[in-house]
Amino acid sequence: MSGIITLTVDGTEVEVEEGSTVLQACEAAGKEVPRFCYHERLSIAGNCRMCLVEMERSPKPVASCAMPAGNGMVIKTDTPLVKKAREGVMEFMLINHPLDCPICDQGGECDLQDQAMGYGLADSRYQEEKRAVENKNMGPLISTIMTRCIHCTRCVRFATEIAGVPELGAIGRGEAMEITTYLEKALDSELSGNVVDLCPVGALTSLPYAYKARSWELSHTSTIDVMDAVGSHIRVDTRGNEVMRVLPRINDDINEEWISDKTRHHIDGLASQRIDRPYMRGANGRLAEASWDDVFAAIAKAVKKAKPSEIAALAGDLADAEAMFALKTLIETLGSPHMDCRQDGSVIGQQGQGGYLFNSTIAGLDEADAIFLIGANPRHEAAVMNARIRQNWLNSGLKVFRLGEAVDLTYPVKELGTDANILDKLVSKGGPVITALKNAKRPMIVVGAGALNRKDSAGILASVSAIAKAVNLVTPEWNGFNILHTAAARVAGLMMAFLPAKGGKATADIMKAMEKGEIKLLFNLGADELNFSQRSSNTTMIYIGSHGDHGAAQADIVLPGAAWSEKDAIYVNMEGRVQHAHKANFPPGDAREDWAILRALSAVLGKTLGFDNLDALRAALISAYPVFGNVDTAQPARPKVLGRKQAISDLPLTTAITVANRGAGNSRNFYMTCPISRASVTMAECVKAFEANNDVKAAE
Amino acid sequence: METITRFLTSPMMIELIWTVAQIFAVIVPLLIAVAYLTLAERRVIGLMQLRKGPNVVGPFGLFQPFADALKLLSKETILPSGASKAVFVIAPMLTFILSLVAWAVIPFGEGMVIADVNVGILYLFAISSLGVYGVIMAGWASNSKYPFLGAMRSAAQMISYEVSLGLVIITVIMAAGSLNLSDIVMAQKDMWFFIPLFPMFVIFFISTLAETNRAPFDLPEGESELVAGYFVEYSSMSFALFFLGEYANMILMSGMTTTLFLGGWLPPFDWPILYLIPGPIWFALKVALVLFVFLWVRATTPRYRYDQLMRLGWKIFLPFTLIFVVLTGGVLLGFGLLPQ
Amino acid sequence: MSSLVAAARSFLLLEIIKGLGLTLKYLFKPKATLNYPYEKGFISPRFRGEHALRRYPNGEERCITCKLCEAICPAQAITIESEPRPDGSRRTTRYDIDMTKCIYCGFCQEACPVDAIVEGPNFEFATETREELYYDKEKLLSNGDRWETEIARNLAADARYR
Repeated sequence: MSGIITLTVDGTEVEVEEGSTVLQACEAAGKEVPRFCYHERLSIAGNCRMCLVEMERSPKPVASCAMPAGNGMVIKTDTPLVKKAREGVMEFMLINHPLDCPICDQGGECDLQDQAMGYGLADSRYQEEKRAVENKNMGPLISTIMTRCIHCTRCVRFATEIAGVPELGAIGRGEAMEITTYLEKALDSELSGNVVDLCPVGALTSLPYAYKARSWELSHTSTIDVMDAVGSHIRVDTRGNEVMRVLPRINDDINEEWISDKTRHHIDGLASQRIDRPYMRGANGRLAEASWDDVFAAIAKAVKKAKPSEIAALAGDLADAEAMFALKTLIETLGSPHMDCRQDGSVIGQQGQGGYLFNSTIAGLDEADAIFLIGANPRHEAAVMNARIRQNWLNSGLKVFRLGEAVDLTYPVKELGTDANILDKLVSKGGPVITALKNAKRPMIVVGAGALNRKDSAGILASVSAIAKAVNLVTPEWNGFNILHTAAARVAGLMMAFLPAKGGKATADIMKAMEKGEIKLLFNLGADELNFSQRSSNTTMIYIGSHGDHGAAQADIVLPGAAWSEKDAIYVNMEGRVQHAHKANFPPGDAREDWAILRALSAVLGKTLGFDNLDALRAALISAYPVFGNVDTAQPARPKVLGRKQAISDLPLTTAITVANRGAGNSRNFYMTCPISRASVTMAECVKAFEANNDVKAAE
Repeated sequence: METITRFLTSPMMIELIWTVAQIFAVIVPLLIAVAYLTLAERRVIGLMQLRKGPNVVGPFGLFQPFADALKLLSKETILPSGASKAVFVIAPMLTFILSLVAWAVIPFGEGMVIADVNVGILYLFAISSLGVYGVIMAGWASNSKYPFLGAMRSAAQMISYEVSLGLVIITVIMAAGSLNLSDIVMAQKDMWFFIPLFPMFVIFFISTLAETNRAPFDLPEGESELVAGYFVEYSSMSFALFFLGEYANMILMSGMTTTLFLGGWLPPFDWPILYLIPGPIWFALKVALVLFVFLWVRATTPRYRYDQLMRLGWKIFLPFTLIFVVLTGGVLLGFGLLPQ
Repeated sequence: MSSLVAAARSFLLLEIIKGLGLTLKYLFKPKATLNYPYEKGFISPRFRGEHALRRYPNGEERCITCKLCEAICPAQAITIESEPRPDGSRRTTRYDIDMTKCIYCGFCQEACPVDAIVEGPNFEFATETREELYYDKEKLLSNGDRWETEIARNLAADARYR
């Protein structure tokens, strides 16, 4: 299949791989071919006819997207025939397309608009009635104006192929053709927002973004998503200081062209529930507004009162590397060993980089031929990666096994139950999983949050290590041991060892010590998934974060930090890929970048940190942890023997997004996993729409 | 009481009161004339440009000058922080005072002159030359580039044209045989000097345009290049003083032209019936006519370029007047026309 | 010879005298001035005066928030914000024109697909403060209501040239 084909496009010879289409050949020759239905990442439909080109020895123009390239073909893309064909197709296309561009949200970035300008006729000969199509309900994220639909079926193909929710389809023929959801129910996919990007016209548009802005008013910032640990490449569109929308950027190693709905639509949470000035708990026990000077003075007093061993620090799921490094440096300077970035209570991170990364890399998911999921739910925990696994299954029949709660992952999974104890039995007795992994060339074990957040996770990890050894998971050319992270901050925190130092306490111990009053002062860098209500009254908690969530509500001193879109920051995704996020807008009110707050605080405490700007901070970070200097590359490593002998409890393995989530009293769902998404009205609506769906399903 | 009465009726005191009364009799109509000159200027230029000019305030817009004055006086006097305060304040006063002082020697009629000095014309010439100080002081004291440039231009221009002005006056003096202005007027009883000395009359008039910074020689205050020249930084009362001074100067120069060339208070023809109209009326009419020409020229000509201005003064007027002085002297001497 | 003639012309101030003659002639010509507040000149249907937002005869505002006027405005005087109205239609929540920025080029009315924003025939809208010149949607709509007859007539008069 990997022969090279030579053909001529507009007089230039091009070479393409065998199996390419004529359209791809034309693109290789640098010729622009208009298209609506064709999309690189979807199957070929060939129904819009816009990509017609002239082919020698063919009596009529051919649809280039569906025509396989052949040796010696002579293609012409700029002949009068092609021009006329395109004009004709365009005229047909516009027959039933309404002239409502001024009120259409796609206006300004619409393929149909652009191509009508580029390839269409100036006016229409159509005198008859236009058709109108009833709008469909596609849930709280997608607004439908189906009269505008040109039936390219990109959305149908996306839902069926990528998202794996075959709930969209076309019914009727000819003029009566309609795209529909069959049952008038919301498109139940974590990737549903992507159909809006795919739709070449304004038939499917973003509902939360409806009528809010025009494409030409927005300024774009390329940055990194923090809603999960995938580190999707995104573009943030802002108008003024307001984040209007988030769009995916293409990155074949990470998110291809997709982003999850949470990434896309949580952004209204960036503007609500914000902490925009410092707060301090007053004598009446309520948080009251305070000045920076006052809160710093209060913190200095508290620091002076506490012994070094009575000070601790926790970092949350959205913290950037700079802030964590600044906090770690500050805590070390204060002389305390108590700090942890794993608010979920997992034990990974102290046994080398290979022990906590997604070592096969995200792109490696395409090559895998057997995957064993242990307490992982990639559909909710890393929706974009789940689409990759599904692609792999579609293309090559990937085998997937799962130990943990049965959740629909959009592809068939062989269930092994929820009892973690069988791991030991697997090692000793083997089974179909072991056989499959052993026989596989590219076996993968993915350990998810459900397994890691348990008290007996060390034991589980030990068993997994044993299995890995047994199935020869790690070879010189393949590393199949993977941890599926859910928090954008975690890997960076582990990489810089934001972990208990010698004699230090981990999250659970810190919490216990606070209940007893042994830890008197806690620096909480956005850790919102923990329940601090049991802590002793003589402890002081300083919360640094952007949103008024659990952490801020229970804190004594609240310092306003910047949310992810408001700072230049480094995040490391679960592959160990160091990525630089960029500032799209400014923090509200008195809020500042977290590292800057810590730097200013350190000066007040008389322990001035050694960096005055972000560059100096990054330089210090890189010199301390050189892995941070290797930007935009996955950095997998060979795992050592992990975990330790520990009895595994009978507790069923769940696939909750985080156990801590449950601890703080939140519902387990995909849409609300962090302070920002919890503050988002759109996400709340999604929960209402989709969780209700699931409840109905469960009842059935 | 008695001493006061005696004091008030002492000859010295009476003379003093008389002089003050005379001064007021000159200055009050003069200031009113200045006020209406501004109105006349706007209306005449307006009419020549197919406009109507100010016609709303009062009948025919006659109260316009008072409205303007009220507006100017009610404005804030701004002293620029970089300015040399004392000089800045004195400059407009100096300009204004000089424009009034010169009127002391102008004869409005037979014997109707405040100070009938026998070197009147010299005095007049001296005073009008002093005018440049007000401008220079204003330009320098403002401590700002536009006023400074305006003042430089103004000084150069006034000095340049005073030379030819002086030479023109010499021809008149030669023809009249006296430095006393009343005598010069009387010398024109038979024929006004503008007829025999017509070229000199023209040059004199043009030079007065330059001397008073009027169009087409209004470079010192050329709006389009220097904003407003040396009084950019002035506002309110101090600006009003400059303004009054400028227009009073125009009237003074018209008066000088009238006196030297247009027979002063004399009627146009030596008919007894014309003498029924008093001399000051004739004088005022002639001054008004010359002022009209001032405005007329402004409505007609565009502004000169600076080098053109200098060229005209030094390369044309100066040689021309010099030659004419010699010529006049020769003719007077050769034909025995020298006044006794 | 010609230089001599030129010198003579120059010395005899012929051009100046001609010019003076011309201005003197104009002194007596009839004047073009209109006695403004009492007399007013003719205004073209295309006159671009004070802005107004129009409504349909049933009272529904025309503007649909396409933001084309905002986009084309060379002075960036227009600010529009929008969100779906409860009935689902696309309407503005804010339509501001900074009349102190506006250069009255008329691009906004050219860009408008529904003839919502127009520059009406009114030019007498001087105010005492600058703040009063920051027009909001309410002001613009009330302008539209006040001038609708004239605006509609002007649009009709100019329609065949558009």
